Amino acid sequence: MSDQQPHIRNFSIIAHIDHGKSTLADRLLQATNAVSAREAKEQILDSMDIERERGITIKASAVTVYHHHTPGENADELESEAAAASGDTEAAGSGGEDVRTHGSELYMLNFIDTPGHVDFNYEVSRALKACEGAILVVDATQGVEAQTVVNAYLAISQDLEIIPVLNKIDLPSARPDEVAEEIEQVLGIDPYSCIRVSAKTGIGIPELLAAICEKLPAPRQPVVPQTRALIFDATYDDYRGVIVYIRVFDGRLRLGDKIRMMGLQRTYSITELGKYTPKPVKVKELGPGETGYLVAAIRNLADVRVGDTITLETDPAAEQLEGYQPPRQMVFCDFYPATSEKKGNDFEQLREAIEKLSLNDASFTFQPVHSEALGFGFRCGFLGLLHMDIIQERLEREGGVEIVQTAPTVSYKVDVRTKGGEVEETEVHNPADLPDPSHIVDVKEPICRVEIMLPKHFIGDVMKLCLDRRGQYKAQMFVSEAREMITFEIPLAEIIYDFYDKLKGMTSGYATMDYEVTGYRTDRLVKVDILINAEPVPALSFIAHRDRAEQRGRQLLVRLREEIPRHQFEIPLQAAIGGKIIARETIKGFRKDVTAKCYGGDVSRKRKLLEKQREGKKRMKSVGSVEIPQEAFMAVLDTGE
Amino acid sequence: MVLEGAPARGNPGYRAVRSLYIHVPFCFHKCHYCDFYSFVDTQDRQEPFVRRLIRELQALSPWAAGEPLRTVFVGGGTPSLLRQPLWTVLLDALHSHFDLSLIRAGAGEFTVECNPETVTPELLQALRQGGVDRVSLGAQSFQPGHLKTLERWHDPASVARSVELVRAAGFPRWSLDLIYAIPGQTLQEWLLDLETALSLSPSHLSCYNLTFEPNTPMTRRLQRGEFRATPDDVAGEMFQVTGERLRRAGLHRYEVSNYATPGQESRHNLAYWRGEEWLAAGPSASAHVRGHRWKNIPRLGDYLSFDDDGFAPIQDHEIPDARRALAEDLMCGIRLAEGVEAAPALARAAALDPRAPSRLLSEFRAYEAVGDLRFDSGRWMLTDAGFLRADAVAADLIGALEAQPDEDAPVGQDAEER
Repeated sequence: MSDQQPHIRNFSIIAHIDHGKSTLADRLLQATNAVSAREAKEQILDSMDIERERGITIKASAVTVYHHHTPGENADELESEAAAASGDTEAAGSGGEDVRTHGSELYMLNFIDTPGHVDFNYEVSRALKACEGAILVVDATQGVEAQTVVNAYLAISQDLEIIPVLNKIDLPSARPDEVAEEIEQVLGIDPYSCIRVSAKTGIGIPELLAAICEKLPAPRQPVVPQTRALIFDATYDDYRGVIVYIRVFDGRLRLGDKIRMMGLQRTYSITELGKYTPKPVKVKELGPGETGYLVAAIRNLADVRVGDTITLETDPAAEQLEGYQPPRQMVFCDFYPATSEKKGNDFEQLREAIEKLSLNDASFTFQPVHSEALGFGFRCGFLGLLHMDIIQERLEREGGVEIVQTAPTVSYKVDVRTKGGEVEETEVHNPADLPDPSHIVDVKEPICRVEIMLPKHFIGDVMKLCLDRRGQYKAQMFVSEAREMITFEIPLAEIIYDFYDKLKGMTSGYATMDYEVTGYRTDRLVKVDILINAEPVPALSFIAHRDRAEQRGRQLLVRLREEIPRHQFEIPLQAAIGGKIIARETIKGFRKDVTAKCYGGDVSRKRKLLEKQREGKKRMKSVGSVEIPQEAFMAVLDTGE
Repeated sequence: MVLEGAPARGNPGYRAVRSLYIHVPFCFHKCHYCDFYSFVDTQDRQEPFVRRLIRELQALSPWAAGEPLRTVFVGGGTPSLLRQPLWTVLLDALHSHFDLSLIRAGAGEFTVECNPETVTPELLQALRQGGVDRVSLGAQSFQPGHLKTLERWHDPASVARSVELVRAAGFPRWSLDLIYAIPGQTLQEWLLDLETALSLSPSHLSCYNLTFEPNTPMTRRLQRGEFRATPDDVAGEMFQVTGERLRRAGLHRYEVSNYATPGQESRHNLAYWRGEEWLAAGPSASAHVRGHRWKNIPRLGDYLSFDDDGFAPIQDHEIPDARRALAEDLMCGIRLAEGVEAAPALARAAALDPRAPSRLLSEFRAYEAVGDLRFDSGRWMLTDAGFLRADAVAADLIGALEAQPDEDAPVGQDAEER
């Protein structure tokens, strides 16, 4: 590598929600003159409406800026200057003239934005894979939060160099010293290495840029002669098809190269190669350590897997960069069109919206389902709860469909004894699909490591909540005088209902939590079937821990008793495990439904009356001879308890 | 009322109407639960009413096409309030415009509703001579307290007295009307009423669950909270014990609210429930002829002042289409103990929609499964328990005649293929 080449630094910014990650990204772009103050639109990297409204970054983007830095000099005296401002980025990429000016050296800063939430864990970790360093942003008024911890652990586990940043120090309520101590307490990071900034006013930004150039390591040297580039993100563009974000580790990618995706074994020709600065700028090649994007006439997002390795068709590498694995859907629920009246059209509309969205987000799965209560819809799998909410919102907003969403379930791993006697593992994410108990050898459920950051005096209540949800205590950590962090292992199934709401409620909103699925664990899990008038209703089945099955079964029956109207006959409601009844309720029969008099003059009037009565019944679904209103299904699906 | 294809005497293709209903709107007191057209006549319009009624009967008579009437029913109001000489005039006119030979021969039925308080030997004599062979007495209750709740002013003892008079006048048949589930009435009190009625050895009883009809003083009093309605399960129990008690006395429930010893069923009412045809005369009377249903205008003043060749002005004229006609037949038929004959009903359903019979059958079977219907000798009929749910059953049978949107479900099939 010639020293005429700019020094490359690849890094991500990680933070708890609202701690100022996007503002800091904007400020860095401005400071490197990649965008003028006039152009600076807040949160440049986030392009989607929802991201901006929710303050969450959903899709990772990569931006390349250039920065002059004189090693060892006081950052304050440095004047940032972007080579990109000269307009000729290709020169920088191909290394034409001497890029040193006045003793300072040119740095190419590739920063890779990550989704903040660990629902997008997979995307976060892929984005971090493309980096050598991470800027850990902590709000100096709020302190370390659960998400800070989980994200920092991710970065640490990938051996990234971490630059801790205390943000919002311009605010009167900022307490940077205390927060720096929290960072040390929780993450073991030297409090003196924290850089104090205000992304809003620009305080500390030059110091941060200096630290990026000096503290973060350069990309590793190529280890094989063949080209290998990691796909760390992909988006869909209506005109160009899929845009693949890549980080080159070994060799080079050139415009026109025939490339092969090693995981999916597909080949394409590169029709466009470039970088975002943050405007897209085309380049002719990308060398080792560089990040950028490529376009190769890929029509479907599903044809690209984040984490896959790109090599050259003509001289392929022998091994992929990292063990490639597809994203895991952990949370499942059904989407149905909300209006049952003209459901035909609505279902089509929903399907179109889902298909369109899947072009943009390949990490959720969907397949058509039919429910007794709700008609036709889709069973969708998501990376997590937030992902589910976002998909629903995007479908409603971008697809213009109103959606009824059922209660989320998790994905279970079930060992089933087959007819031949061998044990096979299957994945079940719909309670109704759970096989007969006599064939089940073992049921495993996803377990999360949950970090909860909270004011001290709530610890007792929160511990109880965690234990109630089958949590296993792991650790308790002193954060500051006022706050503690507790770590539990809790089944995902217990979290996806209303854990977060309960936690927020009992701590007046002060506690923050984050979770990460760490594995699967066997527990005494059973499928509880609901029988209405002795007929099982698959849509109402659920999976529960054996010890809680009675309680949850009874609660559900009580809800059903309220929601199902009285019929002409007595309706037994039962909850059962296998053939064994564990809870029972009864909807008493209507004693009477008969008009006393119906003589000659009453016939028409009475017929009309009955027809009207019938109209009301149409909005119900019958299970056997019992009419169940849609609300009953919804109320049951809604209930977390 | 002139219908297309009006009958001509001797037209062999014409099917004669064999039943006639006559409405006499007068009452001396308007009972609080009653929603029939009736009023207290302060202007004494009995004579003009009878004159007008006779003109209407004359206009209607061609519909009988010279065939003898099978049943005549005079209801109200309080027909027994009509003065005896006017009754004689009316009955004479009836004989001159209609053939009452079948009734005279005891093979038909001619009923007049009477108030126990107003029957006199003279009136009964006049009725009997005029061919009336059945009297329906409005007893309602034998307990003064409950009669008062109904705003019904007669002496309970007058019921037994009037039954004696009816018997003495030589009427071969008579019936009592009773009401149960009156606010405040206990099951025991109702059973006592039944015993009192049975002590008179009736061959026919009508036992009506008190209904709070819209726009009646009774309903307004309920809404004002003057009393509480009898709970459904108590009323249901009253209904059940009625059936059991009367069966032991030899009276079988042949319709939801009607009980008779074998052969003593009201033939006129059966004509309603079996979907047969009848003519109607008098204000507010309803008719069913050749697929048409209509109702005479209800107000006596209007009835007296309009005279369209003798026909009364009508309202609520309706020609039920095939589906509605079948719906009405099912609805009425299922209220009878004899039920509905399966084969013709299914055939008529098939003519509406090829899928309707299977829908109808599945409704029948669903109710059979829960024990509300049974199938016997080719007929679907309510069980004892099922009578309490006659409306629900009827509503579902009617519903089965309508095409179900889900059935086509092109979307669904498409989705499953995916």
